[in-house]
Amino acid sequence: MTMDAMPDVHTLTGAYVCDALASDERAAFEAHLAQCPVCRQEVTELREVVAVLGAAAALEPPARLKAAVGARIAVTRQLPPKVGEERATTAGPVEQGPVEQGPVEQGPVEQGPVEQGPVADGKAEYGQVASLDEARARRRLRRSAWSGWAVAAALAGVLAVLGVHSGSQQQQINALSQQTKVVQQLLDAPDAHSGNAAVQTGGTAAVLDSRSRDEAVITFAGLAAPPPGKTYQLWMMGPGGARSGGLLPVPASGNPGPVVAHGLGDAKTIGLTIEPVHGSPQPTGPPILLLPMGT
Amino acid sequence: MTERVSGHAGAHPPGGLRGVPASAADGPGGVAASPEECLRRVALGDREAFDRVYAIFAGPVFGLARRVLRDPAQAEEVAQEVLVEVWRTASRFDPQLGTAQAWVMTMTHRRAVDRVRSEQAAENREARLARSSAVVDYDDVVETVENRLDQQRVRNCLGGLTDLQREAVTLAYYNGYTYPQVAQLLAVPLGTVKTRMRDGLARLRDCLGVGR
Repeated sequence: MTMDAMPDVHTLTGAYVCDALASDERAAFEAHLAQCPVCRQEVTELREVVAVLGAAAALEPPARLKAAVGARIAVTRQLPPKVGEERATTAGPVEQGPVEQGPVEQGPVEQGPVEQGPVADGKAEYGQVASLDEARARRRLRRSAWSGWAVAAALAGVLAVLGVHSGSQQQQINALSQQTKVVQQLLDAPDAHSGNAAVQTGGTAAVLDSRSRDEAVITFAGLAAPPPGKTYQLWMMGPGGARSGGLLPVPASGNPGPVVAHGLGDAKTIGLTIEPVHGSPQPTGPPILLLPMGT
Repeated sequence: MTERVSGHAGAHPPGGLRGVPASAADGPGGVAASPEECLRRVALGDREAFDRVYAIFAGPVFGLARRVLRDPAQAEEVAQEVLVEVWRTASRFDPQLGTAQAWVMTMTHRRAVDRVRSEQAAENREARLARSSAVVDYDDVVETVENRLDQQRVRNCLGGLTDLQREAVTLAYYNGYTYPQVAQLLAVPLGTVKTRMRDGLARLRDCLGVGR
């Protein structure tokens, strides 16, 4: 920069609010701003002016932006205000998430709630939740109809609808970083759809799905553990009837982890029933949840 | 938090994520809360208030990023970053220091310009362009109706500037050029560009009636 930057520093207000200073010059000007109330006032005023120029450039954003933002803010901790610690704690409700860390705590792989075999083939073991290693091995060998993943971003997007924040943001972020690609694909899908519905026995379920991706993520909030001797079973329900999506394992404290469904087929709706502990080939009772997917 | 939202969730129709809850952050009298009030509530973790903030600012944020960056995929990335940042740093918004619009658009412009100037952006541009054209046809983006009014007002006021003022301001702000680059493009001395930007913006301020 030339010598005239020093005496002329006030005249940089215009270039500054246009972000037209190189980074070193920007830093120097900001240092000057800190000591120059007149400059600060002028910057404040001119910022309002350029903000109007900026707003005049508005365009309708792609619809998927909202889902993507919603997914990310649900796993983004908010900064406390720049004051005393007292206020900091009251201003961060994200920290007070009601859901005590459930399955996410265990990391994404352990999420696998529904790892029993492909249920479409009549002889599947309806009731067994495979051990972790077994589940991993099976995942490698074949693509099951469902797999349980801590798909944090998608989960977050769905949870965002419910406004529920999980207790451990960090865990979700960790899981998110591992699953970013898959999740982004789902969120990027032009036909990404989300919805939610109440579970008749209490709680809510939410879905994020895409026909073109042929995938859906289902999450639950406030779902209690099933009655003793019973289990929850998921169903893919379509014109061809109900196809088992597998069992939904729920910790004793409730709050099952998210599940990802591959191969939606002709299913229009995701259903949930209460079944005997080993599951059933077909629903034996009325669904306690009907969760429509996108078309 | 749980009680409030779970009650709300049950009544929410499927696909609600895409919808804009019209009165989500309305004040007690049913009057829509100001953007500043919404930001205050966002700082308290209020998701509904954030939905309203999104409804207000997603278009301006995306549009400005698009204007500066040109590349739709990068503009979308910047818009996403900015809107998440609004959520993250809402507690740092100080209404004494300006409007919510100035706060959000300042953040947007800064990020867009930083990206323009980063080398990585140049490296990625080609791949991203390929990706974006495959995914969405951005030629179909539409301007919102209110913005046509804003645009008309801005256009009128820009028309009231001298050519040099107008070019200096728009090349810097909409194209993301540094003022030495602007000086080069317009073949005028650096000092002239600085002062034209400043007095051009001052004249716009008076014409638009913003900023006191």
